[in-house]
Amino acid sequence: MSLLTLNNIEVVYDSVFLAVKGVSIEVPDGGLVALLGANGAGKSTILKVISGLLKPERGLVTRGQVRFAGEDILALDPPERVRRGLVHVLEGRRVFEHLTPEENLLAATSMHRDRARIRQLVDEMFSLFPRLAERNKAKAGYLSGGEQQMLAIARALMTQPKLILLDEPSLGLAPFLVDEIFDTIRRINAESGTAVLLVEQNAVAALDVAQSAYLIEQGRIVMSGTAEVLKSNPDIQQAYLGGSSQVDYHAVKHYRRRKRWLA
Amino acid sequence: MDMLLIAELSINGVFVGLMYALVAAGIVLIYKTSGIANLAQGALAMMGGYAAWAFATLAGLPIWLWLPAALVAMFFAGALLERLALRRMVGQPIIMVIMLTLGIEIMLRGILPGFFGSSVKRLDIGIPTTPLFVGELFLNRATLIGGAVSLATILLAILFFNSRLGIIMRAVSDDQTASWSVGIKVERAIALAWGLSAVMATIAGVLWGATQGVDWSLSLLLIKALAIAILGGLDSLPGVVIAGIIVGLAESLATGIVDPIVGGGTRDVVASVIIVLTLILRPHGLFGREHIERV
Repeated sequence: MSLLTLNNIEVVYDSVFLAVKGVSIEVPDGGLVALLGANGAGKSTILKVISGLLKPERGLVTRGQVRFAGEDILALDPPERVRRGLVHVLEGRRVFEHLTPEENLLAATSMHRDRARIRQLVDEMFSLFPRLAERNKAKAGYLSGGEQQMLAIARALMTQPKLILLDEPSLGLAPFLVDEIFDTIRRINAESGTAVLLVEQNAVAALDVAQSAYLIEQGRIVMSGTAEVLKSNPDIQQAYLGGSSQVDYHAVKHYRRRKRWLA
Repeated sequence: MDMLLIAELSINGVFVGLMYALVAAGIVLIYKTSGIANLAQGALAMMGGYAAWAFATLAGLPIWLWLPAALVAMFFAGALLERLALRRMVGQPIIMVIMLTLGIEIMLRGILPGFFGSSVKRLDIGIPTTPLFVGELFLNRATLIGGAVSLATILLAILFFNSRLGIIMRAVSDDQTASWSVGIKVERAIALAWGLSAVMATIAGVLWGATQGVDWSLSLLLIKALAIAILGGLDSLPGVVIAGIIVGLAESLATGIVDPIVGGGTRDVVASVIIVLTLILRPHGLFGREHIERV
């Protein structure tokens, strides 16, 4: 059974702008699913629909259902959804800048009652991300971009989620850090069985870790399938994976290559 | 200049300053959680004074009952104020929200004396009125006790902000959306801040009520509290203590030394001068939170 099901979701911003036009997505229990697409395709909006963080941005779900663990969750507010087991790591990391890493982790434990368990969770996070323990004296605002991203992920894990929504974890990071972050994501998914829904522009990295993926353009899903199928698709290779290595410039046509789906 | 007089003015000034600081701490508490400068804090202190008086005199309760009753009632009054008035303003420009708190201040200033009668109410918390002589120093007992209680309350607040609940409230002030995303009930945290702030205002209202009586003029504490909060940095509780001592000292020395020369009235000028100078010279105050920018 799938953990998360989006059925025909439509989102309107400011009552006029239709940003998501009937999107259906499934994330299986313990799965790692990627959501690919260019800027403004509606990827982040879809994550906000799931976590409930659309309201502060004047967005509204006008059609469709979101079911999580067999329940319709659209009417729940974001903190309640976190308590059901889904957590959203926001784009741009958004750590609590004036708090230390440990305080950042503690701030995400409002749903836990057991103090010993909280302590244990903090220790787990520090052993998962030793760098955070080293930088525990500094305020989170002074951590490097990679450290902040790890802190944001660790903070989300403190809520003990069944599903973690990751919005552009590689944004603005050096290539070796991107590898490290994706390695961490794979580990979290494999070791604790936490399902992951990953939004990425870095399609190469995302398709390497994901089991399946959806491709979004202008608010519609234009392609979906297992990561292997998408990776081998010539259109995806051309548009998102940087094309083939050799380009015969004599053969380059003077019109732009059309994608073979309707967008 | 008479050294004894200066020593006396200084000591009394420090303790009065600490009593001002308690009102300022309430402003800081709300600012630290929700980023709003609450201009109704003076009226909350006045309301706390009236609540204490009502429970003590109208209901005739003994002090160990009327004090907790007033504190609990004011906690809910503060939380209710947030729920009914402030929460509707979510998403509105910050200036509108601040204007709303100013409106509440003015409204309470009118309503409460109108309801309870505008004569000065006596509030007795059992501090003897006889002055205290330390050596040759002539000190005011109510001020000493008031200052000590205020300092203790502020220290408690500092401890609170390092507890898990306090960390959560600081997280809310840092980033409300991110707080939501990790399951923090932001609205509840802000309501809690208002409740606690009203409790602190009530303690201040009772202490000041015991020294000068309860009437509308308790709400004038707002000006001193604002001066202290701005000088201290608006989001720093230790800053409030230091700034409180500075303002109290300056005021007391100005009254004792400058007043006889210019013919009185400097007491209330000091706070406003401090507000203006701080805003011009050091807008973040002495201990204000720095804006973090990574290089």
